[in-house]
Amino acid sequence: MPKHIFRLLSLIAGFLVVAMIAIPLLTDKSFYRFGHYRADSVPEIAAQEPVLQTANYCKGCHAARHAQWSASNHKSVTCEVCHGAAKGHPQNGKLPIPKDTAKLCTLCHEAMTGRPKTQPQVQVAQHSGGQQCAVCHNPHSPKIAAATTKVTGNAAAGKQRAAACSACHGADGISPNDTWPNLAGQNAAYLVRILAAYKSGDQKDVAMTPLAQALGNADIQNLAAHYASLDCPTAPGKSAIGNAVAGKALAKNCAACHGETGIAGNPAWPTLAAQKPGYLVNVLKAFKAGLRKDPMMAGVSRGLSDADIANLAAFYAEQSCKTTK
Amino acid sequence: MSKQDTKPSLEARREFLSKLGRAATCTGAAVGAAALGVMPAVSAKSPPSAEADSFPTKDYDWTKHQWAFGVDATKCIGCLRCVEACKHENDVPRNAHQFRTWVERYVHIEGEDAVRIDSQQDPVNIEASGSEKEFRFANRYKDAKVEKAFFVPKLCNHCTHPACVQVCPTGATYRTKDGVVLIDHDYCIGCRYCVQACPYGARYFNEEKGVSDKCTWCYHRITKGLQPACVEVCPVDARVFGDTKDKESPISLFIRNNRVQVLRPESGNAPNVFYVGIDKEVN
Repeated sequence: MPKHIFRLLSLIAGFLVVAMIAIPLLTDKSFYRFGHYRADSVPEIAAQEPVLQTANYCKGCHAARHAQWSASNHKSVTCEVCHGAAKGHPQNGKLPIPKDTAKLCTLCHEAMTGRPKTQPQVQVAQHSGGQQCAVCHNPHSPKIAAATTKVTGNAAAGKQRAAACSACHGADGISPNDTWPNLAGQNAAYLVRILAAYKSGDQKDVAMTPLAQALGNADIQNLAAHYASLDCPTAPGKSAIGNAVAGKALAKNCAACHGETGIAGNPAWPTLAAQKPGYLVNVLKAFKAGLRKDPMMAGVSRGLSDADIANLAAFYAEQSCKTTK
Repeated sequence: MSKQDTKPSLEARREFLSKLGRAATCTGAAVGAAALGVMPAVSAKSPPSAEADSFPTKDYDWTKHQWAFGVDATKCIGCLRCVEACKHENDVPRNAHQFRTWVERYVHIEGEDAVRIDSQQDPVNIEASGSEKEFRFANRYKDAKVEKAFFVPKLCNHCTHPACVQVCPTGATYRTKDGVVLIDHDYCIGCRYCVQACPYGARYFNEEKGVSDKCTWCYHRITKGLQPACVEVCPVDARVFGDTKDKESPISLFIRNNRVQVLRPESGNAPNVFYVGIDKEVN
């Protein structure tokens, strides 16, 4: 064999031996265990810690919230969608409470081309006028369902009982005074709710509290039925206070519950159309100051100035309540 | 010489043979020791007893599961909470260009032949979200005459015959026995062949880490009995995940009760993400 061929062959053989020794030494021990990959990488990947912790984790401490949420329409929106990943909470501090709900909620609820019709969607500008969603909606139980109290009262019996109320609220339910509310044509369920609140002390008024405490539950039902059956007042026309045009713009924020012209869609909420402007101003100020308690009204009245309140009152006072019923 | 040679030559031969024997034992031992890395792999296949315990973790045996994913595009509302959750869960760079999962919007406008497609990385949508780190679809078609529109969530298809695995030169990506295509970041050399090979664009290159990355169906969650992050947060159940070996699992029911299809079946990758409610334009 020529020398150079021998050298070449021995060189190749040498390389082969080095390779034979080096390859197994350099290859991870688990490499061919299941195939052409490093088997140990599978448990490594599987060992990573989850970041999202699921609602069950949150339930450990926030049981009451969890119960409310899991009974609501939002039960499919898990805690961490809005509050962020819970890994490291509570050790590393609090999770954020979203401030800009107008931005967050519209991710799902802004009316948008391509969204399935079954998804609840709103035209944001018309629905809230840019207001924060959490003002009216509780994110943990977003559906606004004011319990409609069933009114079973007898209007005739109520009429007799109403004699005691007529001094302030008028014989026909139309108050002679700007600061006392008209009751004629008001939603019966609302009247029941408010009278019951005066009776229980949830709502207080120098004049109304003792009067309501003297009423039985049947009386309340009868009175509500009576006043609801009366013809609602004709709009008084131009109001001395406030600017109705400015009020109209503001009233868009109230329309979801009180109707566009102040005729409430749900009987548990009051109709505002043709109501006494002075009364409306007082009530809104009372909500704003926290003297009258209602979580939703407290929220929406908080941002209103005195001028806003006067404008709103002027707008509702000018509306006709005759369009329905 | 010849006479005397016989005896010493016998001794010499014995000596030579014994030396040879010792040498052979030594080299054998050396080669054997060196080959240990390879040998167990070969031997492991014959006695299944030891390995069959439980792999990859002691509570999770990958031979007992076969995962699959379902997407019901008729339910998707395009809220992109899946994208947000995935970014958090898997430490995906927080920008508008690298995703493990994403959502596409398909819009047919009256009088236009071609369908308009955008996803959360479209500049208009980035502007609507206010930042590259947040995701939201802009309400850009509200004044258009839209004939038809729908959202389609996308992610890695975890194919049965994945092209990405075929092209990987280092064995850094592979398909597990439970049907998940994973990436071994320690072995990935960042050559990006797999990014090119994937017909679905499911992979991206992570410049920070210098490796390819993609959806793992949250392998670290599913091996602990949790749902993938995107499935966990989806508020409308547009994403379904489960074990096809369990005939009553959500995914088994999803596949059985719906007419499902996969993306690009002609590519031969045999995807394992099953879609309901998509058009021919979606691929």
